[in-house]
Amino acid sequence: MGAADLFNSLPVDDEVAARFAQIPNKLNERGFDQWGFNPESAKIYYSIGRMLQRYFRPKVYGIENLPAGRVLIVPNHSGQLPFDGMVVAVSVLMEAEPPRVVRAMAERWFPTLPFVNLAFSRSGVVVGDPINCRNLLEADNAILVFPEGARGCGKPWAQRYKLVRFGRGFMRLALQTNTPIVPVAVIGAEESIPSMFNFEAGAKIIGAPYLPMPPHLPLLGPLAYLPLPTQFHIHFGKPLSFDGPFDDEDEVIEEKVNVVKATIQEMIDDGLEQRESIF
Amino acid sequence: MSKILVTGMAGSLAQLTADRLLEQGHQVIGVDYRERPAHLRPDIPFYKGNYNKTRFEDVIRREKPDGLMHLGRVGNLKIRVGKRFDLNVVGTGKVMELSLKYGVKRLLVLSTFHIYGAHAHNHIPIFEDEPLRAGSTFPEIADAVQLDNMAQQWVYRHRQLRTVVVRPCNVIGPGIRNAISRFLRRKRLPYVAGFSPMWQFVHQSDMVTALTDLFHSDEVGTFNVAGAGAIPIVDALSITGAQTIPVPNPLASAYMTLQQRFGRGFPPYLLEFLKYPCVISDEKLRTAIGYQPKVGIEESILTCVRDAARIH
Repeated sequence: MGAADLFNSLPVDDEVAARFAQIPNKLNERGFDQWGFNPESAKIYYSIGRMLQRYFRPKVYGIENLPAGRVLIVPNHSGQLPFDGMVVAVSVLMEAEPPRVVRAMAERWFPTLPFVNLAFSRSGVVVGDPINCRNLLEADNAILVFPEGARGCGKPWAQRYKLVRFGRGFMRLALQTNTPIVPVAVIGAEESIPSMFNFEAGAKIIGAPYLPMPPHLPLLGPLAYLPLPTQFHIHFGKPLSFDGPFDDEDEVIEEKVNVVKATIQEMIDDGLEQRESIF
Repeated sequence: MSKILVTGMAGSLAQLTADRLLEQGHQVIGVDYRERPAHLRPDIPFYKGNYNKTRFEDVIRREKPDGLMHLGRVGNLKIRVGKRFDLNVVGTGKVMELSLKYGVKRLLVLSTFHIYGAHAHNHIPIFEDEPLRAGSTFPEIADAVQLDNMAQQWVYRHRQLRTVVVRPCNVIGPGIRNAISRFLRRKRLPYVAGFSPMWQFVHQSDMVTALTDLFHSDEVGTFNVAGAGAIPIVDALSITGAQTIPVPNPLASAYMTLQQRFGRGFPPYLLEFLKYPCVISDEKLRTAIGYQPKVGIEESILTCVRDAARIH
């Protein structure tokens, strides 16, 4: 039995399969789209994702705010490893009506990681490139994009729940393709893998965008990178729509970006206030 | 009926294209720097000679072709760089110059999608007007990039020639003997463990349709040819029924070089293609001439390996 057969024999969650069955896809004769998304493999990865999801016991609020058709889902990014992306993706598949497979825009680094690149592309993740994004939006997909990028994901403990600089690309694409933006606040990911600081020299050596240093690293070694069982709270906000030329000057785009950023920060602050416990 | 000169006539794609042109009632003249193939149809006059030698000019002067299909690009990297440069860059320059000099009315230049390069940052799909990235990761492909660039210039500088440049994805089929078709026919197929980027294949018959339809159309410019759809390379390899061998990434380069050393032709630049995607769009071609591939992905791969003798 080859590795591929072994993978295909992994159990598929019945509910995940039922949700996938409701989603129409444009695929070729072998069941793939051109980015490498394949629902048959995606079902397996989403089933694994759902198991991991249970570990974080996410509470989802406002999922009904997700409009039909093209949409940019824009959360804050945190937690060192992209579990926040996974939890949002699984929530949208399992709880949105009708169910949707989000297409996440990922760090350009991921295609170079063996096996990770397969899991990502088969489940619908693409390289965070404006042309990929535009093509997928024009095909009316739900795009998951973290405008903070690796800067946000790798931020240390002291800066938790403070949004860092947002990229402008998502706003230009929203304007160009006339796409509503759904702001999302993810609470709980920040505490899952706390990092004292970003070990930049180490990151450079292994070619990673950042290298977090959890406080318990000397004690636990690599195990320190396993996330703690914090509870996730996912707040989906009301869709925001913007008008204006997509190729306007950076300052004009920046103003619109700041509206989204401020909305998310407000949602985070409210979410933190409502939260009773980290676990 | 028109008289069409086809270069690369010792190659399979040129012969298949010639067959189609003859079926359509055209007259075909073949040229190649290699010997006349033993099985070439007797009704095709064949001239042996380098495209940058005077003998080639004699042929064009004497035959006065209406159109020229330059399919004679040398993709074989076993041929040393200097000779490849002579054939691909100097040769193509000469072909285009002579086409202009002797009043050829239609020119088609065969390029390749390899010049876009496989890269981790590549978006999907890649269109005709995008940068050619291959040179940065694989300088040995410089001749192919330069060939394409020259042909591009020709499109706009000499409009009377009405030039089209064709960049196909992997052309495969039972008659084809290019690096990829030969690779697919092997009994053991290595791939890089943990990677399986999307690949595109176009079947020889669809490729011939694209070439001839485009040639007979009024279009000028550059056109990608993408085939029936993209699939992960490891799936493509599995379709062949051969044994697939995962090679760990850190050893892959050494493994491929070793294979190459023992004559199991696998051009080292393809290593990047085994890891990263280079997926092209042929929307432009489909819109321009209504091209629609007829042979599916699986069938293309199966006929490529089944209907040709296995090697090694």
